[in-house]
Amino acid sequence: MIKQFFVILKKELAAFFNTNLAYILMAAYILLSMFITFFLGGFFSINNADLFSFFYFQSFVFAFLTPAFTMRLWAEERKSGTIEFLLTQPVSITAIVLAKFFAAWVLCLIILTLTIPFWIYMNIYFETDNLNILCGYLACILTAGSFCALGCMVSSFNASPVSSYIFTSFLCGFLVFGNFGRLISRAGLPERISSRIQNSLNFDKHYYDIISGQISLDNLLYFVLLTVFALWLNIVSIDYKRN
Amino acid sequence: MDNKVTNKMIVVKKLCKDYGAIKAVNNINFCISKGEVVSLLGPNGAGKTTLMRLITGYIEPTSGEVDIYEKNIRTNRLECLKKIGYVPESGFLYNEMTTFEFIKYSASLRGIDGTDFIDNLREVVVNLDLDSVINQKIDSLSKGFKRRVGIAAALIHKPEILILDEPTEGLDPNQKFSIRRFIRDYGKNHIIIVSTHIMEEVEALSNRVILLNRGKLVKDTTPEELKRLFPENNIETAFFKITNENG
Repeated sequence: MIKQFFVILKKELAAFFNTNLAYILMAAYILLSMFITFFLGGFFSINNADLFSFFYFQSFVFAFLTPAFTMRLWAEERKSGTIEFLLTQPVSITAIVLAKFFAAWVLCLIILTLTIPFWIYMNIYFETDNLNILCGYLACILTAGSFCALGCMVSSFNASPVSSYIFTSFLCGFLVFGNFGRLISRAGLPERISSRIQNSLNFDKHYYDIISGQISLDNLLYFVLLTVFALWLNIVSIDYKRN
Repeated sequence: MDNKVTNKMIVVKKLCKDYGAIKAVNNINFCISKGEVVSLLGPNGAGKTTLMRLITGYIEPTSGEVDIYEKNIRTNRLECLKKIGYVPESGFLYNEMTTFEFIKYSASLRGIDGTDFIDNLREVVVNLDLDSVINQKIDSLSKGFKRRVGIAAALIHKPEILILDEPTEGLDPNQKFSIRRFIRDYGKNHIIIVSTHIMEEVEALSNRVILLNRGKLVKDTTPEELKRLFPENNIETAFFKITNENG
């Protein structure tokens, strides 16, 4: 199964780089990230030894970027009918789902590496906290993974890449900007329990903990579980449609 | 036709597929042995494509079983799929790929590479006359070539069972002729299931006909016997009378 996993992964990456979309998205990512870092993040007005103003907005950037990577992964297969070819090959659905997810995630890692020159530049001209920067990159990698998994899941539900993009952006945007506290407080739970649930579900808390250098098990588990849950739903959705 | 044959490679038992209130496939039973070229004949909406999708495991039945080489497709899906080459009706090709890339992709998914791939590729390219389009993008191919590319990809692992959904639909007479000749040759030592609603195809290709109507199996016989059922002595009349009787 590992062999087939890499075959599909390679095919998905090739399909992406065969279109201009890949290069447009890479350029858009760099421009958007730098614009936000320098203008919205106040890069020059705050102490940026850990590139905080860059990492602070990355979850927002990924919420709108990763759906572009994942939107066609399943939706396009369904729309064009190639899903019938794919699902009648002797490859497990799990392997196909994982290969597509990793293809999107690898793309996110590639675009993240485009920001490394920025890090090198900071090291040359400023005294930087490289350990914290690594934590920032870790948070970005985990966020991209979770958003890619959510994107794959949404893409598997429908046959339109555009609606897949919109729904995934909405979902990721809800995670980044959504206020779970208000929702949970309506459930009428005791204050102590409600604040614990709020802390556990809050994307912001886990993301900003990691970019601030606090890598704890619950922060890592949040992203891992979110990713695994979305991938599981992806598998279930493909299997459900076979029934 | 007698279902109690030996060497039953495909066994379909009480197979049903419902889409809400619609019974797309309704309690179908049959067995297919090696060397049989079976035409699934029926009007539009008879359940031919659904039945093929059930046999290939692409969709799961509401009830009933499909066994491929004595293994249940529901519980041994991957094992069963190794024995099957399936060519859906349309839209299953990656248009951005070249003919070679698509066949290679299909082979890689089936774990075929190296000299095995080269040998099998040479064979399918020659048999299906794909030499002239091997490096051409699928998007730019004619309908006939697209069909042949699909068949080539399905044959790259030399499957025991070849399932073709309306393989000559929309092709010109020359293309139809070459695909039918290929199917007849391959069917000598393998199982082929061909869905069609073209009567001439049934006679030209198959040694067995399974006639479906509204999801039900209404006749399982040979093309010759089917013709002899009515005084007009042709399949077209038999098809018309049987499907309207049961309609």
